[in-house]
Amino acid sequence: MREFRYERPSTVAEAISAVAGDPDADFLAGGTTEVDLMKDGVFHPDLLVDITRLPLRGVRKNGTMLQVGALTTMEELAADRTLIERAPFVREALLLGASTQLRNMATIGGNLLQRTRCRYFRDPAVPACNKREPGSGCEAVASVARMHAILGASRDCIALHASDLAVALVALDAVVHLQSEDGERTVPLTQFYLMPGDTPNRENVLRHGELITAIDLPLPPEGIRSTYLKVRDRASYEFALTSAAVALTMDGSVITEARIAMGGVGTIPWRGFEAEEVLRNAPATPDAFRSAAEGMIHDPYVVPGTAFKVELAKRTLVRALTEVTS
Amino acid sequence: MTTIQQPRILGPGVNRVDGPLKVTGQARYPNDFSLPGMAFAAVVRSTIPSGRITRLDTTAAGKSAGVLEVITHENADHLDEAPATFIKNPQAPLQNDVIRYYGQYIAVVVADTQQNATAAADLIEVEYERREALLDPHDPRAERIKDPWGEDTAWGDVRTALKRAPVMIDQTYTTSDNTNNPLGLFTTLAAWDGDTLTLHDSNQWPNMVQLVVSSMFGVPKDAVRVLTPFVGGGFGAGLRCWSHIPLAVMAARHVGRPVKLELTRPEMFTGLGHRTSSVNWLKLGATRDGRLTAIEHESLTTLPMDGDEYEPCSSVSTWSYASPNVTTRDQQVRLNIPWTNFMRAPGDSQGNFALESAIDELAWEVGLDPLEIRLLNYAEVDPKTGRPWSSNALRQCLEVGARRFGWSQRNPEIGSMRDGHELIGYGVAGVSFFWYQQPCAARVIVRGDGSAYVRSAVTDIGTGTYTIMAQLAAQLLGLDVEQVEMQLGDTEMPAGTAAGGSGLTAALGSAVHDACGRLIQKFVELAKTDPFSPLADVPYEQVEVSEGRLYRRGEPTRGESLARILAVHGLDEMAADGDSTPNSPDELGMTPAGARGARFVEVRIDEDLGRIRLARIVTVNDGGRILNEKLARSQILGGTVGGIGMALFEDTVTDMDTGRIANATFGDYLIPVNADVPDVHIEFVGEPDAFNPIGVKGIGEIGLVGVAPAIANAIFHATGKRIRSLPITLDEVMG
Repeated sequence: MREFRYERPSTVAEAISAVAGDPDADFLAGGTTEVDLMKDGVFHPDLLVDITRLPLRGVRKNGTMLQVGALTTMEELAADRTLIERAPFVREALLLGASTQLRNMATIGGNLLQRTRCRYFRDPAVPACNKREPGSGCEAVASVARMHAILGASRDCIALHASDLAVALVALDAVVHLQSEDGERTVPLTQFYLMPGDTPNRENVLRHGELITAIDLPLPPEGIRSTYLKVRDRASYEFALTSAAVALTMDGSVITEARIAMGGVGTIPWRGFEAEEVLRNAPATPDAFRSAAEGMIHDPYVVPGTAFKVELAKRTLVRALTEVTS
Repeated sequence: MTTIQQPRILGPGVNRVDGPLKVTGQARYPNDFSLPGMAFAAVVRSTIPSGRITRLDTTAAGKSAGVLEVITHENADHLDEAPATFIKNPQAPLQNDVIRYYGQYIAVVVADTQQNATAAADLIEVEYERREALLDPHDPRAERIKDPWGEDTAWGDVRTALKRAPVMIDQTYTTSDNTNNPLGLFTTLAAWDGDTLTLHDSNQWPNMVQLVVSSMFGVPKDAVRVLTPFVGGGFGAGLRCWSHIPLAVMAARHVGRPVKLELTRPEMFTGLGHRTSSVNWLKLGATRDGRLTAIEHESLTTLPMDGDEYEPCSSVSTWSYASPNVTTRDQQVRLNIPWTNFMRAPGDSQGNFALESAIDELAWEVGLDPLEIRLLNYAEVDPKTGRPWSSNALRQCLEVGARRFGWSQRNPEIGSMRDGHELIGYGVAGVSFFWYQQPCAARVIVRGDGSAYVRSAVTDIGTGTYTIMAQLAAQLLGLDVEQVEMQLGDTEMPAGTAAGGSGLTAALGSAVHDACGRLIQKFVELAKTDPFSPLADVPYEQVEVSEGRLYRRGEPTRGESLARILAVHGLDEMAADGDSTPNSPDELGMTPAGARGARFVEVRIDEDLGRIRLARIVTVNDGGRILNEKLARSQILGGTVGGIGMALFEDTVTDMDTGRIANATFGDYLIPVNADVPDVHIEFVGEPDAFNPIGVKGIGEIGLVGVAPAIANAIFHATGKRIRSLPITLDEVMG
């Protein structure tokens, strides 16, 4: 790890101005991804601005909204009573997303910015990585790839967005509060992430010096049926091969409203608007589930190591739908 | 009188004698040591698989904060060649500009702190002239070494037998590269004092490290002291003197200070070897009722450009089952890869997967129960020589295991057992493990207070050597375990062998046995010189020992304590050296049999998603005399977990264009987590083995072997899918 400067301002405004004033500065929250990347030599900040003691922590219910401070830890959010009652699939995603140790360190704001696990991105000895060195190419496409994306991917980048929480929050239509020296703005999480295209180095709409301060979780209606199903190579402590966040409102055996997102498949957390459309006002039948899955996974970009994910992802969604409707 | 007849202390487990030290943090591992003025080293590794270094710019690194020295091939000390030994050790590092694999050390930076050393190492600029690398085991340009150990075997007429066999299995089975990954990061702390050198070092063979380092640096062997009282696991990774060790020694000489070099996890993937991938071509011929008539087993494994490796995968087919016609052949292929090296059950783990999968295929082919076919082909005697075994309880392993597991509840039809979405499969595998033993020495000393201590240079890699040797010495000297102090892992003690090959318990145990016998004899002889001793006229053969006393057999009151004998003669202590060399099969007229075992596995397969879940495992093993059942269970349990890893997770992936290991972290290289390990029922059967005086067979590795084929066979039973390649992942099992 290279030498860097460290500051711990006492107000949000100071923190923002400290980062904004140095193009090689960044915020430090739980550090569970960021410090790893520094140790691996992938990320070389000149200045880290520690925000962990800023007053951006806590969960508050406000009408039909759960307002989550950006520095709330994964463990704190997972233990929130309202979340457990109203959006249990978010809690499941949190619990399946990281070990207790990590959940106690990692923050909700930081989790949304979790970087890819791509082995080619994470080793600076690999010369070709468009995400790390724009224009250098993509080593992963031609190598042994398994933990990689099939949706939103191209020969320029197949890096997967590995967060479980973000998948659930995308399904929930969460809204991100951002603050910078220019003021405050809000961005729906579904519009927060950028498709890699030919600039995989740009992963989201955050500008330099802009800080996530809070995340609003709109609470689903009471009585939803939901699940977060995660399929992986080992039973725990591993990222998803495929995962599905599903929240349904039912009237008898008919689905009246559906929220669907998938992980393990996309370069960004993958919201399934098309699958939702298929299921809306449809009977909960195997055929409907399969149609939804076909609507979810189309035009995949696969390499030999990821080809199996196309069918696995569809079956994962079908299983999740079957479980919540049975 | 030193035969073990009614073991008092051996058998059911006593707790680890070093347990309290370990759980209270007082057991010091090599990276726990610090010395005054100590500096820290960081290595730089090549990022090409083959070629030479054309430019190395260390200017920036040299000027970086806290840096004391940067050593490359341009300013490295000339070191002598590593001596020719039983197994080859890497040649001295930094002696030229040639690169033979991705990850080879090309520089070492020494600084005042670890952080400064690591940061400076990043600043070294390297340019290479790259040559085309050989990375694919099937590359026709790569050198093939046939019959590398002179162990290719043939008896009978396999070709004719296969031609005539009514039933034949002809399949190819492959296993992937696996990396040992002991939890403790290997560390060398080197300190010169004039021309003498002290090393705190992570390894499994202190005497080997001493020999290699002293030879390379041109100092007498006795000038190098290697200390390894504790090491954070080995699994074979510590069996050679790896290049980081002489690097640390060289660095310490350059800066005139002690230097600590601790490898990082990614460096552990390239610097300590790995288990070779294997291809096994297997042909079985059999009668229609499932009796084997021929086995032909060929294997291909990999070698680094400048190393050697012993992985006779096909050997298992010469001793596992009775067959009148057998041919086995092994080949190695030389590649531009990091060293291949012993990893828990080398050769056996891969070869057994192939053989036990093929046997299972044969069972299905002839319509025989997979358990029955193994019992049917049980080798009553060594099939190669016709000699009796020194012991062999494979049959009991299979029978006892089947009962514990409830094998009879199995519906033989494929896919016939299910629970909701999950298909249930039962699988079995037998294991016949190799036998291995090397010479070893030990010293046993009785002190004036009647207590004893035992010394040997060997190290305890966590298996429990401290404990079982204390038990053994206590048993043989008639003491309590608490009265025996163990001192291991220091080359100033009597030279010992490797903690490897499942051979240390027999080697060191036999040496301790010998030393205890000689020591008792010395006591008896000493007592004879004292006319007042009750033992004065008792011949050695009639002396027994218990509770720290020697006495005449059948006359417990006619005796004298060890302490009193010493006191009478004014001695503080008395010592005896013992050593052991393996017996000769010819002289004993028997074939030494390694441990034997059977595995029974229940798998649950999600029929849509392919998820593979282990529901339970029964593992029954014949380890001869079990010195400490509690520790033996730990060995089998750990081995079982390793076997699950080999079966379902572990796969060291090499990028085929660069030779880089692509998954050299614990995030990317999967090993089982607790949730992957089901209930494991462990049992021991068998009798003390006749090949060594203490009756043991090594069990450090066998627990791993057979787990993978039992899982693969169970997956076949559940799904009808025969997976012949490890690891088995859910995409291969999805319906």
